[in-house]
Amino acid sequence: MNPTLTKTPNRSGTFQVRSNWMRHLLTFLMVFGPGLIVMEADNDAGAVSTYVQAGSQYGLHLLWLLVLLLPVTYFIQEMVARLGIATGKGHAAMIYERFGPWWGRFSLMDLLIVNFLTLVTEFAAISLALSQLGISPYVAVPVSAVGLIGLVVTGSYLRWERIVIGLCLLDFTWFGMAYVSHPVWHQVVRSTVLPSFPATGIDSSYIFLVIAIVGTTIAPWQLFFQQSCVAEKRLRFADLKWARIDTLVGALFTILVAGAMMLIGDYGLRHGVKFQDPAQLATALAPIGGEFLRRGLLLMMVNAAVLGTTAISLASAWAYGEVQGWPHSLHKKVSEAPGFYAVYVLCVGAAAVIVLIPKLSLQLVILGVQVLAGLMLPSAIIFLQLLLNDHALLGERWVNRRWNNWVNWTIIVVLFALSLLLAAQVIAPRLFS
Amino acid sequence: MTTSLTSFDMPTYTVIHPLKDVPEQKCGGEYLGKMSMTRSVRISLFVLRGYLLLMMGMLAYHVLNMAGILH
Repeated sequence: MNPTLTKTPNRSGTFQVRSNWMRHLLTFLMVFGPGLIVMEADNDAGAVSTYVQAGSQYGLHLLWLLVLLLPVTYFIQEMVARLGIATGKGHAAMIYERFGPWWGRFSLMDLLIVNFLTLVTEFAAISLALSQLGISPYVAVPVSAVGLIGLVVTGSYLRWERIVIGLCLLDFTWFGMAYVSHPVWHQVVRSTVLPSFPATGIDSSYIFLVIAIVGTTIAPWQLFFQQSCVAEKRLRFADLKWARIDTLVGALFTILVAGAMMLIGDYGLRHGVKFQDPAQLATALAPIGGEFLRRGLLLMMVNAAVLGTTAISLASAWAYGEVQGWPHSLHKKVSEAPGFYAVYVLCVGAAAVIVLIPKLSLQLVILGVQVLAGLMLPSAIIFLQLLLNDHALLGERWVNRRWNNWVNWTIIVVLFALSLLLAAQVIAPRLFS
Repeated sequence: MTTSLTSFDMPTYTVIHPLKDVPEQKCGGEYLGKMSMTRSVRISLFVLRGYLLLMMGMLAYHVLNMAGILH
């Protein structure tokens, strides 16, 4: 038996350790999960497409943006984790309770619609990637949907969390794929630490891509997901520091993975490969990069879509359950929380069915996601910031400090401006021509 | 979550999984109702309404434009 760790036999989940560092490590491992999952699930199919496109269009010239986005994603998600730990409730429930039914329903409906449209894009990615591997969409999509439903209906939050963390760790494969794409490392380092711009100058396409990357890296569903996840895991006040480290580790990992995706896009650019989506890129790169790169890119696209689907569907199911006052927990069996599971199954099932409709206009779906996300993100972040300054709710211990507010209001103003620009570009492209 | 116990030879720490621990009394435990409308809350919600109206206006422009009504 390990002399530093013994398990108390009469109470599961309780451990006795003899060293302080072991106590810290074990506590961290117990708290670890929501921060990593929310960040990695954000590298979903849409993100893969955006980052690879950024690399294939502008090479390494947008790597610096990822470094800038690291503290931004961390600060926003730290607030979410803090609010979840302090209140033990989800984000939708807090908006409904503190801002009234109008804002509560507005946020919920906007979240449900944008999440659903995003789910359609996830299944479209699964269909595209597995088609390239010779699997028919009529097999790939239903099997994926059944698997994603099976993942949550076991009545165990921990089982779901462990499987999803495993899927997150598969993202290490992106580093292997980036390595075999033979990047010019000194250029990678220089472009990461020093902002650089393409030789063609800054055009509207470049600005659009910058905004798309910001919108991809910070998504509205993440706020709802992590707060509900933290509440679901019943994290305690003393767990906040570990939840912060979990969030920071997740943010670092997700930004590094996003960078790896850009390097693969850059590999395509250096070899003059033209493509419409990452699945086409994978096939086009096979003669140059080999089968590992082709299969890796296709399978990691599926993994990204699976991670995105389970997290986004759960964000919807938790939010709907919170506002309706239904039982909404992965700890409960299907018979104990039928409404919660029904929302999850409906989200996954309907998105899978829609993707199988022949001649579906994916472009229209993507446009809808961009417009609604532009509506959703600033409002969700404003509510988050106001809740973190709600002294009546949180007391002095948990509210934002003055420096928190300065940083967060700056982020909010920038996000407002970028969301407005993105939506304006999508809705009325000729405004800028 | 973590308690330090002292035995005669060396300390022992008990680490409990959050899901197995005794539930804490969280902030805002009972229903607090709507947030009080301080100046900053009023301004924030006003800006948010303006932003949403602007976005709706742009969306309406886009739909009318696509329908060919503005040509």
